[in-house]
Amino acid sequence: MAFNPDLLEKEGKKVVLLGNEAIARGAIEAGIGLSACYPGTPSSEVGIALSSVAREAGFYFEWSTNEKVAYETSAGAAFSGVRALTAMKHFGLNVAIDSVLPTIYTGVKGGLVIMVADDPLGHSSAQSEQDTRFYSRMGLIPALEPSNAQECKDFTKLAFEISEKHRIPVILRTTTMVSHSVGTVKLGKTPVPKTKGKFVKDPESFYCIPPALQKLHERLIRKIDAIEIEYEYLNKAEGEGKTGIITSGVSYQYLKEMENDLNNLKGVKIAKLNMTYPISRSFVTKFLKGLDKVFVLEELEPVIENFVRALAKDANPRAEMHGKDLLSRIGEYNPETIQAALAPFLKAKKPDFSMHDAYLKKVQLPVRKAVLCQGCPHRSTFYAVKKVMGDQTIWAGDIGCYVLGIQEPFKMEDFIVSMGSGLGIAHGIQKVSDQKVVVFIGDSTFFHAGMPPLANTKTHGTKPLIVILDNGVTAMTGHQPHPGSDFTGMGEKRIPMKIEDIVRSFGISNIRIVNAFSQKELQLAIKGLAGSNELGVLISRGLCRLYMRRLLKKQGGEFVKFQVAPGKCRKCLECVHHFACPAIIHEGDKVYIREDMCWGCGVCAQICPVGAIIPAARRKKK
Amino acid sequence: MTCNVLIAGVGGEGVLFSSVIIARAANFEGHEVRGTQLHGLAQRGGAIPTHIRFGKKVHSPLIPRAQADLILALEPLEAARFCYFAGKGRTNFIVDTYPVKPVYANLFDQPYPTYEKIKQMIDPFAKKYVFVDASNVCEQKLGDPVDGNMMMLGVAIANGMLPLKKESIIEAIKRTAPKGPDEDIAAFRMGLDYKG
Repeated sequence: MAFNPDLLEKEGKKVVLLGNEAIARGAIEAGIGLSACYPGTPSSEVGIALSSVAREAGFYFEWSTNEKVAYETSAGAAFSGVRALTAMKHFGLNVAIDSVLPTIYTGVKGGLVIMVADDPLGHSSAQSEQDTRFYSRMGLIPALEPSNAQECKDFTKLAFEISEKHRIPVILRTTTMVSHSVGTVKLGKTPVPKTKGKFVKDPESFYCIPPALQKLHERLIRKIDAIEIEYEYLNKAEGEGKTGIITSGVSYQYLKEMENDLNNLKGVKIAKLNMTYPISRSFVTKFLKGLDKVFVLEELEPVIENFVRALAKDANPRAEMHGKDLLSRIGEYNPETIQAALAPFLKAKKPDFSMHDAYLKKVQLPVRKAVLCQGCPHRSTFYAVKKVMGDQTIWAGDIGCYVLGIQEPFKMEDFIVSMGSGLGIAHGIQKVSDQKVVVFIGDSTFFHAGMPPLANTKTHGTKPLIVILDNGVTAMTGHQPHPGSDFTGMGEKRIPMKIEDIVRSFGISNIRIVNAFSQKELQLAIKGLAGSNELGVLISRGLCRLYMRRLLKKQGGEFVKFQVAPGKCRKCLECVHHFACPAIIHEGDKVYIREDMCWGCGVCAQICPVGAIIPAARRKKK
Repeated sequence: MTCNVLIAGVGGEGVLFSSVIIARAANFEGHEVRGTQLHGLAQRGGAIPTHIRFGKKVHSPLIPRAQADLILALEPLEAARFCYFAGKGRTNFIVDTYPVKPVYANLFDQPYPTYEKIKQMIDPFAKKYVFVDASNVCEQKLGDPVDGNMMMLGVAIANGMLPLKKESIIEAIKRTAPKGPDEDIAAFRMGLDYKG
């Protein structure tokens, strides 16, 4: 679904877009001249959409090496008067923040929008249930929060106008259920993008060193105060009554969905905050007047609630306040959680799903966890490393498809912290312990944040075994290019950088480069590195099989499939229990390979102790 | 009245493609559309529920619990897994009898439940259920099991379980797969003609 023809449809058309696609369209309607992103679920489709239309729409797009660089690239364009958008997941903002905070002080000339997607529940995020809204409070960064796809588009455009008018970067904050929700969107006009700008020297704005720093800080506070007043109108109040509900984002949509089940929200007034930083004190104060009860509905931390509680001390001290006493700070909400929390206060029935709950308790369905794809080069590498290094090794994990190495039967990610962290932590472990440590890091992660800890490890003399899993693309988020890939975000060919050249330039010569689909090469190289006294790096190279399959399909080709030769299998189950390819099925007393699922990596044939797995005859396509 | 469709399946079976077809077709007919499409980690062999809702006015992207009108299960186990969203007297199930055994079931030597067992699991939550051998039929007739998802849409429309016009679905397929809609349309038509 990479390219959606509706992205460039005409003004006035109604189309269905993913929230993230709608943000991309909003940026196009705002006339961006540049966008630079680093992919991260649930934000990736903003960049994917922009990348797919950049050439036709006439702006520049790149997948930068990490979020900080992507932000700086976008800021450079905005410093020069060109509108720019960067999109990242919540943890991406942690990477970029070092550059974001000073640019809130300096300001921008062209509009600059930072799209940030939070992921409550962690649908696709290890690490934490981070609430990005705190960054706005720390850095005084204006933030808009859409609640559906139409608003994703409209608010993006609006964010550019606010950014350019007040010369300040603006955050567009979403959550998974906004970014990954689809909705009907009425399209607006797409202007010819302005792609050329000029950097004009401006010490008054760009010299953020003392004593000018304090002037910039003061100027920033004035901007925020002006924005709070000017955009009060963006927040919407509806309904009449003595009970007030203050909400924003997708929680608003859940509330409206359950209107019928909540006594038609009779006697209820709703405030929908569309700008969640700065929150308009005037709007909230007026809203609170005369209310008996106030509820704040927001996922994650009580950010709005604490603000409202503080304001209510003056505005309406006798109102009864509710928020996180009724609704969790953990995970995400849905229509039923909102209904359940509000029903007792609105003379409505609580939802009853006892039959469903009893059913879910009773049926013990086999779990279906996300696992490495069939044919994945990482499975082959994990298998070989474990064979050679054994179970007692410490496995330093990192972020990418290979987090799935955490699953059975490998369990080869003893910790997963952040992009590039595996090596840094491994170094620390080895400074205080004599344990063997193997570090897994992907190619995209290596370019993103792997080089500083590599230099540090080399300089300070620890010797973890570093396994670089090079599958050619940023695979988990949908095969975006990185400097080691042979194409760009604009769809042009380029000569890829070689990871081994970089590693060598750090003064590390103990490098082995192997074919990830060859157990013989892998195991030999790992034995060699494990037995050496130097810092060793294994580059296990094999193109992402899912990506390769797409390339192959375009050319009308197909993988050679494998099968279990009749009568030869001894049922040792090595392939089932220790390799765990999804295409190898064990049912009853039979072990077989599903032809429709096999992607022909052939590694199972190499590990079968009796040689029972062989290539299958080519299937005829009808 | 909002129509709530939940598409359940496993990554690679065309869950996303099916949801885009339904969303586009509903849009062509002037409905407001909302729904979800999870990307990322969920794709790697995990269970993917995709919600599509259309009607005059729709708010939540998620189908409220027990309010699915149709559960299109591209994999039988997933039909049972998402009974969470089904309600007796409301929910129709169309199930593709094309199992994908979860890796964990292989690892821990758990058997795949029989279809009889799965039918028993679904029954308390179903208005009606249809088990179709869609992917296998598509593999035999069209050479690719992945077209099974479009055959399922055909079955849904032929059985009055999806209130959209077949012309809208065909238009949506053309719009979504501009390079090669023929097999998808052929599969969809097979579903329209399916007698089960």
